[in-house]
Formats: sequence, C-alpha cells, structure tokens
Amino acid sequence: MRKVLAVMALALLAIGSGCASMSTGGKQKVVYHINYNDEAQLKAALGNVQNHIAAVGKDNVDVKVVMHGNGVDLLKTANTDLDMQQKVVNLKNEGVDFEVCNNTLVKKKINYKNDLFDVSEKDIVPSGVAEIARLQQQGYVYIKP
Amino acid sequence: MSQNNRFSDEFLNAFVDDQLDGEEKDRAYLEIGQDETLNRQVCELRKLRDLTQHAYRDLPAPPSATTAAGKRRAGSRFGIAACLVLAFGTVLGLQIDAPRLTATAPAGTTAVAPVVAARPATTASPTRAAPRTVAATSVPTVGATAASDIRNKVIVHIADDKPAQLEQALGDIESLLRYYRDSHETARVQVVLNGRGIGLVRADTSAFAARIARLQKEYDNLTFAACQNTLERLHAEQGVAIRLLPGVIVIDSGVAEIMRRQSQGWTYLQV
Repeated sequence: MRKVLAVMALALLAIGSGCASMSTGGKQKVVYHINYNDEAQLKAALGNVQNHIAAVGKDNVDVKVVMHGNGVDLLKTANTDLDMQQKVVNLKNEGVDFEVCNNTLVKKKINYKNDLFDVSEKDIVPSGVAEIARLQQQGYVYIKP
Repeated sequence: MSQNNRFSDEFLNAFVDDQLDGEEKDRAYLEIGQDETLNRQVCELRKLRDLTQHAYRDLPAPPSATTAAGKRRAGSRFGIAACLVLAFGTVLGLQIDAPRLTATAPAGTTAVAPVVAARPATTASPTRAAPRTVAATSVPTVGATAASDIRNKVIVHIADDKPAQLEQALGDIESLLRYYRDSHETARVQVVLNGRGIGLVRADTSAFAARIARLQKEYDNLTFAACQNTLERLHAEQGVAIRLLPGVIVIDSGVAEIMRRQSQGWTYLQV
C-alpha cells in the first residue's frame, strides 16, 4: 500500500513538475491566503513566507499574499507595529506582492492610503477571493498558512 | 491536532493495512476510538486504501511469476499498476462533473456518482495541466459540454464553526458570486462542509438558514455539499439522524471531493 502510494506520488510529482517547468520556466508560483487578524497567526504566516523564500531562493519563486476580510488588518497593524512592518518590508524587498481586496476596503470603510501600510493603487484587486481563484488558474499554488 | 502526534503517518498506514502486531493494534484501537481527529484520519486512509484496491480489481491479473527475477520485477509492476490507477482516477474524475446525491449509499461503500456529462477524454494523464495553462482571458472551447464552458469553478472549504468566521465565509462566498455575475463571467461555486463546518447547514442548529436560503435562491450556480463521513460520525455520536437545510447535497467524503475537484481543474480556497 505504501509502495503504491509512493509510486503514485512520484507519478503525480512528475506530471506536476512537467507542468510547472512548462508554464513558468522552473519558477514556483505561490499564493498565500490571509483572511484572519490574530496577530501571532499573522506573524507566523509571514514567517512561513520568509522561510519559503529562504528555502528556494528569491529568484526561484513568485509569491503573492492576498488579504481580504479580517486579513487586511495585517497592513493596518503594520502601520503601528514595527515588527510587523519590518516583516512586510523585508518580504517586499524580496519581490513579494501584497494584494488587498477592494470589497473589504469598501465594506469596512478603509482608506488604504491612510489606514494601511504602503499600499498603492496597483495593490488593490476587485475581489480577494476571485483573485485567489484567478491566480490558481494561472498556475499559482494555494497555501493557507 | 496536537493529539494525533502520538501516531506517525506510517503507524496509521500500518494500522489500516493490518500490519501491526496484536499489542500495538490493541493500543491503536483504544486510542483511535477515543480521538475524533485520529478516527477521521484513519477513515480517510481506509477510504484511500479501498479506492486503490477497487481500482486493482479492475486490472487484468498479472502473469504469475514467482521466480527471483519475477520478484525483482514486482517493483516495476507496482509502478505500472500505480500509473493505471492514476489514469483510471483521472478519467473517472473527468467524467464526474455534476453534483451528486449519495445520501442513500450504504455506509462503508464508496459512492460512484452517475456519469452525467461524458466528455471526450482523449488522453488521461496530461489533462491536469490543461485548466492551469488556459489563459485567463480565453474560454476553453473543446468538449463543448455545459460544465467545460464554465470558466471559473471554485471549491470553498469550510471546516470550522465559529460564528464570526462563518459570517465572514458567507460574505466571501456572496461577494465572489456577485463579482462573477457583475463581470459577466460564467462560474460555479461549491461549498464543501466537513468536520465542524457541517454546523453551517444543519437544519437544527444553523444560525444562517435564512441567509443560505437567500443565497441559493439568488445564485443557481451555488451548491452546498456536506460530507457523509462527518454526518455518519455525528449520527453515531449523537444518536440522531442529522437533518440538513433544503438544497444541501451530500457527498461521500469532503476531503476526497476537494481532491477530485482540484484534479478536474477547480480552484480551491479555505475560508
């Protein structure tokens, strides 16, 4: 049973890596999904992203962090919490995109220029959830830390 | 989750495969019986084993070879068999694309859904790549069945029952559906509920019955699907049959459904 599973896993892996190298030239594409606002959990999530990049090298991975609902609080916290802010800055320097859901901004009456840390127009997506689905259609792998 | 660290995956696999000695097995039975998470893990492993064995039954019997050389070749036969299993699963998966009702399936059987839209499945294994590489702006036109014309197919997984989280989850589902409708994109959204997530669609306890009814009425491309494994466990624990809200379908296993859908090109997210 374990043998069979191992072989099946290998076969899947072979197909998977075939696809990955076809569509992205070997670069991993990953979307991290954040929709909660527990601070410890948020910091742990950013730690996961950091470790991911450290493990594969920043030139080998394209990471997008998509925040919606309570998850947008990550960038609200980063305005006042310097530790959180530093984590975000470090990740941005390594090429990570932080995307914010416009539905959430409207619903929670958030002014992204004043209330969120370092967000500009290009970081806003119409719907965070739809963005996560769209990215997966483009070959991004989904991770919910 | 911390509790199931007591047993490694290997140990659980050995348990499911009946490879433990008596004493170990006794201990495992006792512990697993008392731990819901472990119990569920074992159920999933059993199901996987059954699926694998089921697939094997459909294979022609290999020529008997009991020599040493034959034994050495056994490894490669495993590989071939596994590939066949994979292909079988992919083809089966491709042909199953409709919501299914398995509530009446007897416990312990693996429900095989009625094949509703048999599409031309020319090659089995590379199909997984197809939906992923389709450009976001083009609608696939091959195999013009209703299901393949739908551009956005999303599984939303709910396994928690905190009211605030469910509230947000329903908001997410609604805004996703509204987004697709407003941008005139075809879409299907299936909400898969297992574990504590079942609470959302239980007729006796759900705090969101009216909202769910409204969503179902407003969006005919939305389906709520409850995990039969969870329903059976609740039935066993609470001694009453779990009634679900109107329109909620039952699927054999939430986890298996998520795997199947993803292999069919559906995207997944957990809220």
